[in-house]
Parts: sequence; structure tokens; C-alpha cells
Amino acid sequence: MSAPAIAAFDLAKNFGDTHALQGLDLQVEEGQIVGCLGPNGAGKTTMIRLLLGLLVPSRGRAEIFGLDTRRQTVAAHRRLAYVPGEANLWPSLSGAETLRLLGNVHGQVDLTYQAELIERFNLDTTKRVRALSKGNRQKLILVAALMTRAELLILDEPTSGLDPLMEQAFRQCILEAKERGQSVLLSSHILSEVEALCDRIAILRSGALVEMGTMAQLRHLSALTVEATFEVDVPDVAKVPGVSMIEVQGRTLRCQVRGSIEPLLAMLAHSGVQELLSHEPSLEELFLSHYGAPLVEATHGPDEK
Amino acid sequence: MARTKNSPEVDATPVTSNSPSTVIARLSARTSVRAGVGWGLVFGFYVATQALTYATTYKTAASRHILVQEFGNNAGISALVGPAIRIDTVPGFTSWKCLTVLAIMGAVWGILTSTKLTRGEEDAGRWELLLAGRVTRRSAAQQALVGMSAGALGLFVSTALIITAVGHSSKVNIGVSSALCFSLAVAGGALMFLVIGALCAQLSTSRRQAISFASAVLGVSYAIRMVADSGSGLSWLRWITPLGWIEEMRPLTSPRLWVLAPVAALVAVLGAGTILLAGRRDVGAGTLPDRSTLSSVRRLPTSPWGLAVYLSRGTLLAWGGSIVAYGLLLGSIAKSGGKMITASSSLRNDFARLGISGAEAYLSVAYLLMAVVLSFVAVGQVNAARKEESGGLLENLLVRPFSRVSWLTQRIALATAVLALGGVLAGLSTWVGAAREHADVPLSSMFDAGLNVAVPALLIFGVGVLALAVVPRMVSVVTYAVLVWFLLVEILGSVVTANHWILDLSGYHQMAAAPAVAVNWSANAVMIALAVGAAGLGVLRFNRRDVKGE
Repeated sequence: MSAPAIAAFDLAKNFGDTHALQGLDLQVEEGQIVGCLGPNGAGKTTMIRLLLGLLVPSRGRAEIFGLDTRRQTVAAHRRLAYVPGEANLWPSLSGAETLRLLGNVHGQVDLTYQAELIERFNLDTTKRVRALSKGNRQKLILVAALMTRAELLILDEPTSGLDPLMEQAFRQCILEAKERGQSVLLSSHILSEVEALCDRIAILRSGALVEMGTMAQLRHLSALTVEATFEVDVPDVAKVPGVSMIEVQGRTLRCQVRGSIEPLLAMLAHSGVQELLSHEPSLEELFLSHYGAPLVEATHGPDEK
Repeated sequence: MARTKNSPEVDATPVTSNSPSTVIARLSARTSVRAGVGWGLVFGFYVATQALTYATTYKTAASRHILVQEFGNNAGISALVGPAIRIDTVPGFTSWKCLTVLAIMGAVWGILTSTKLTRGEEDAGRWELLLAGRVTRRSAAQQALVGMSAGALGLFVSTALIITAVGHSSKVNIGVSSALCFSLAVAGGALMFLVIGALCAQLSTSRRQAISFASAVLGVSYAIRMVADSGSGLSWLRWITPLGWIEEMRPLTSPRLWVLAPVAALVAVLGAGTILLAGRRDVGAGTLPDRSTLSSVRRLPTSPWGLAVYLSRGTLLAWGGSIVAYGLLLGSIAKSGGKMITASSSLRNDFARLGISGAEAYLSVAYLLMAVVLSFVAVGQVNAARKEESGGLLENLLVRPFSRVSWLTQRIALATAVLALGGVLAGLSTWVGAAREHADVPLSSMFDAGLNVAVPALLIFGVGVLALAVVPRMVSVVTYAVLVWFLLVEILGSVVTANHWILDLSGYHQMAAAPAVAVNWSANAVMIALAVGAAGLGVLRFNRRDVKGE
């Protein structure tokens, strides 16, 4: 069996007293697209910089395709491509010169694909980097990574500064990469992007992994929203097991259900339901239910409300 | 959990009641005053040591007379540091020893400060936040100039305080008005180059470029002053260079305050020009045209090595040019400089016995400055490497199959090649300059002397690489500190009989005074071994730390 694309074992990093990452265990199997979510300062970038060997772990270790990120850095890097959230490039080089230089350093470039990417991202490679906008620099560094067709793509907020059209082009590229069997680790704040692309989602918080699973698994952990309109009166559902967050507006009931929905259905069946809607939580709702309340508290202070 | 809490008043009221129109002035003043006062203290201390050393070393009129005979009419020495006027008195000697040296250091401070606080802040994107508010570009430049002038004032005050205090000593006896005038001359020089730096910052597209332009102005000013002071009958040239004006103020011997008029005029004109240009250009762009579109891919660079060469080529060409120009200049005045030494000195017989020509004797003294020039190249190389890391550019290479060891080794190789080439260029250009004047300086000994001055620079570079690996955020402090240490020990050590352990710790002291003396290759081998050791340790340690931003 081949080694996983990414494997982290008890990976930890402290900066002075700050525990940026505390004992992360993570696996990204070959061919998988794993999304990584978390509020600012959760440790996503620290994790990625540890995987790239730019930081030295305080504890634990990590492997890329079975290659140790510290001792076999160069061999590991032959098999990956990385896109940072902020492109720091040489201001005096033109786009074409930057691509050629970075391609040479990587050692392997699919030139046909490169031309296709430049076309797709609508990139002017004759301009000096100094004269490019933030979004265009980001496009340049995206093309530099994708053109290598590396087996593993590590992307740290890769679409920051891109317009919706380019964002669409990016998604297309990632889906193609998946079809070709490339693996992807995608850290992003754009939840729709993660939801649309990723097979599995890891949620980080304060330097620790709090959830890891497919969308279906994560949904299972969260509540289902049920909306029902009644012919006459809204029954009292407060005592039904698993039901919470009850809101009543006229003849309409809104509530959330955790676990089995059967007890609620049984009750509603005898209460004259006119309309019944239920929907699974979106990733955004999942994310907010994980972070919403504590975040509000942290930013506004406990004495507000 | 450690989270920063917002202070409650932030939402409702402005942070402070101060007018936004002085934000940049206050920020610039705060940074530059701190640095100005610090440099001023060093300047004052330097002047004080020179004055006190002279007063205690040359007590009798007879010993002072010998000094006048040796240096009084030496065109070579006066080309380096200015004419020796009344060096049989404490003020005269102090002025001769300190004025030009401090004027240049003040100019360097001015250039570094103004390019940092204007262009540097702009490059970092910090000005954009302010310019998006109620501050106009013109007012930003104006405020920065005002704030930085406060730094020059700080430099003046701290220099003046120390010199006045030391001047009170009965041995030294420098009057208050002379002390003030001297400090004014030094601070005036700093202010002129502060404004020159600010103007260059408006012309160029980055701080680096601004520093190169302003350094070129300083180099030309110094070269013109050298020619004026080399006894070639061209002393009127002193009036067309800012460094010449400082000399013409003769602050400690016969103060002439009216010479401040051209200084003030230059500051006013260039200051106004700076403000005018600031209003005309785009934020982030320069005034001089800059091609933003390249029709074809140029030949360089295709590899990290090519990239390193490509990115440093401008700086290296500028340094190479300065070294060659300085070498030619030294060579061409070596004969007259040497004649003065051998004609009037008791050393004549010693030199003759050793088979050393006067020109060689002169060059061996003057080559200390060449060693300093090469050391600056070394410091620049280390700091450029660190800047590549802190600016996030290095990451582009390190996240690809390119190891940290390869990067640092290539950087070391480049610096070593540059320093060796610099040494060779120095030696050859000096020889060419000397040969044109038919001075008796053999090519081989000049070649050796050139390589000789590259050795301490190599040592500074080696220490710098170690600093880069161990204390990356302190690299610039460490490297400049070593350079200044080498220089101060060598300058002070030549006058004060210091403990030999202290002297031994200066790379410049270890270096033999070639070409008058044969190059001491065993001492050089020790320095090179130390450099290699420090750099090697640096490479190992660099592999074991985090890649760090600013």
C-alpha cells in the first residue's frame, strides 16, 4: 500500500508561550481533497508551514508520501506544489520570467497545461510583478503551482483576492486535479468553495483538530432544521426528545432536531400539519454552530448582551 | 487563553485628539530623534577620545612640532581626511582627525534615515493607510522632512553636549562656541544628506534604489573633495561639494558661520523639490520612468544562482565602480602623498632601509579605507540574504525542491566571489592609477594588497552568516557592530597604546599594512579559517530553525 499524501503525528508548534498547534494527527489519503477550516489564528497556516518544513516542530513529525518533512525535505517537495495566501514575488521580474524561474526550480512543468492555465486565468505574463494587482499576483502563483501537476497540492487560502470568475476557474482546475488522482489540502475561509470541492473536512480550533469527516458525517453531528405550518394551533413540542431552538410565529413552527427525527414526526402526524419542510445544515451553519457563540463572546467581552 | 481585548473607548472617540496633519511628522520624529541622539553620542565620544588622547600623548611643543612636520603638508593624507590645519593645537588636531570622518558618518545616517522613513515606509505599505485618510502625498513628504529634521537636531544636541563638556577640561580647552559650531557642521552635513536621500526616495521606485542614488551622490562629493584637498591647485573644487562646505566651516580652528548659507540653501531647495515631486507621482511608483511591461523574456534568471546574481547586479556594479574609482584616485595621488611622508619624516631612513617607496607607505595607510569599503560590501551581502528571507521571497524557493543549505551556500559563494573580485579590482585599479603617475608600486604587491583588504571583510561576512542563522532579526545590528568595532579599535588603537588583546580582536589590526609590509598570510589564514568556521556553523544552524519574517 502506498503511503498517504500527508500524515501528521502529534504535530505541535509553540511560539514562546503561544501554542499555535497542539498535537495534531491528520491523514490525507492519495487522491483525496481535504478542506481545512477554522477561525483566524486556529493554526491552519502554522500546520501548513510545518508540513512544508519551513517551521521546525516543537513536538511530533509529519510525512509527505512517507517522506519526513524535516529530513527529506527536498524529496518531499518534488512531489508537491504550494500556493500561499499572499504572493511575495520578485517585483522586477515579469510574469513569464517568474513562471520560468519557479518552473526550473521545481524541475518539472507541463508546458501545454501552463499555456492553458495562463489562458484560463486570463493572465498577462509580460507585465512586471510590481505592476500587477494583488489578484493578478495570486493568479500568477496559482499557475506556478498548478503547472507542475504535482501529486499533492497544498493550498493556503489560494483564492484570496480573486474575482468570482477566476474563483470558478480555480474550482475547475481543482476538480480536474482530483480526476487525475492528485491529492489536495485546501485551507480556506470560503465555505462554499470547501463544500463544493472537498471529500473530507478538518476543523481546527485553537491549534487542535476538533472535527474531521465527510460532509455527511459532519452533518450528522449537527442538527436538522424543521419548519412546519399547522392548520390550527402549533402544538407544544418542547418535551419531544432531541428538539431545541423552538420558534413560533403565528401558525408556523421552526425548530432544530438532533438525533432521530422519529419522535417529532410521530407527534406532528397527529397535529394537523399543513406544510412540512426540513433541510440539512449547510457548511456555513455547521461552521457557525461550532464557532458562533464563543467567537461572539471573545470579541465583544462577556459583559455585553 | 491569551486574547487581546479591545479597549472600550475605541469605538466611540478618536484615538487621540492630535491633528491628523502631524501624524507622520510625529512618527518620523520619534524614530529619527532616537537614532540621531544615539549617533550623536557616539560622535561626541569619538571627538572626546581624539581630543583627550592628543592632549595626553603630545604634551610638549616639540612633540607637536614633529607631528606638524610629518603631516602638516602631506597631500595624500589631506586628500583622505582633509587638510591638517594647526595640528599643533588640540582643536586643530581634533578637527583634522574627526571632521571629515564624522561628516561622512553623518551623511550615511542621513541617507539611511530619510530613505527608511519615506520610501521604506511607503514600500512597506504603511503610508497607504495614512494617505487613504486626510493626509495628502505632499503633506506626508513635508511632515516626514520636518520630523527627520528633529532627528538631525537631536544629533546636534547630543554631539554638542559631549564636546562642550570635554572642551571645559583645561587640557583640551575647546570653547563653547567652537564646540557648537563643530556640532553644527556635522549635523548640517547629516541634514544635507538627509534631504538628498529624501529627494532620491522620490525619484526611485524602491528604498534600495534610493540608497544607491544617494550613496552615489555621497561618493562623488567625497571624490571631488579628495581632489580639492590633494594639493593639486584645485582647492576651489571644495565649494562645489557639500562635504567641502563642512570643511570650509573650519569649526574648531577659525569658525566661519556664513558657510552655513550654501548648506541652508541646498536643504531648502532639495526639500522643496522633494515635496513637489511627492505630489506629482503615484504612490508606490518613482518619478523616473520604469518599464512595467517586458515584451520578451530576458536571459536572466533561470536558476536560484542566476536570480541571486541578477538581483544583486545593480548594487554590485555600483560597489565595483566605487572601488575602481577610489583605487584609481588613491593610486594617482600615492606618489605625492608618499613624497610628503618620506621628505619630511624621520621614517624616511626606515622606509629606505626596508626598500619601501613613499607611494607604498602612503597606500598602506590609505588602504584601511579600502578595507572598510569592502567590509560594507560584505555587510550588504548578509543583509540582502536576510531581507530575501524576511520579505517572504526565499519561501518561493524553499517550498520547492531547493534546500536551505543550497540557498545559503550559494549566497556564501556569491559573496566570497564578490569580495575576492572587489579586492582584485581594488589592487589593479590602484596600480593603474599609480603607474600613470609613474609611482614606484609593483603590480604584484598591489595585487596582494587588494586581496589582503578583502580578508577582514570575509570575516565580517562569516560572522554575519552565523548571526543570520542564530539571531536572524539582529543580523544588521551584529554585522554593523563588528565593522564599527574593527574600525574603532584600529583608529583608536593606533593612537592609544591599548591592551594587545583588544587590538587583536580587530580584523583590521590583524591585517598587515600592505603594500608597505608584506601580506601576513598566516594571520589572514586564521581570519579566513574563522570566517569559514562561522559560516559553516551558520549553514548547519540555519537548517534547524524556523524561516522567519520581519
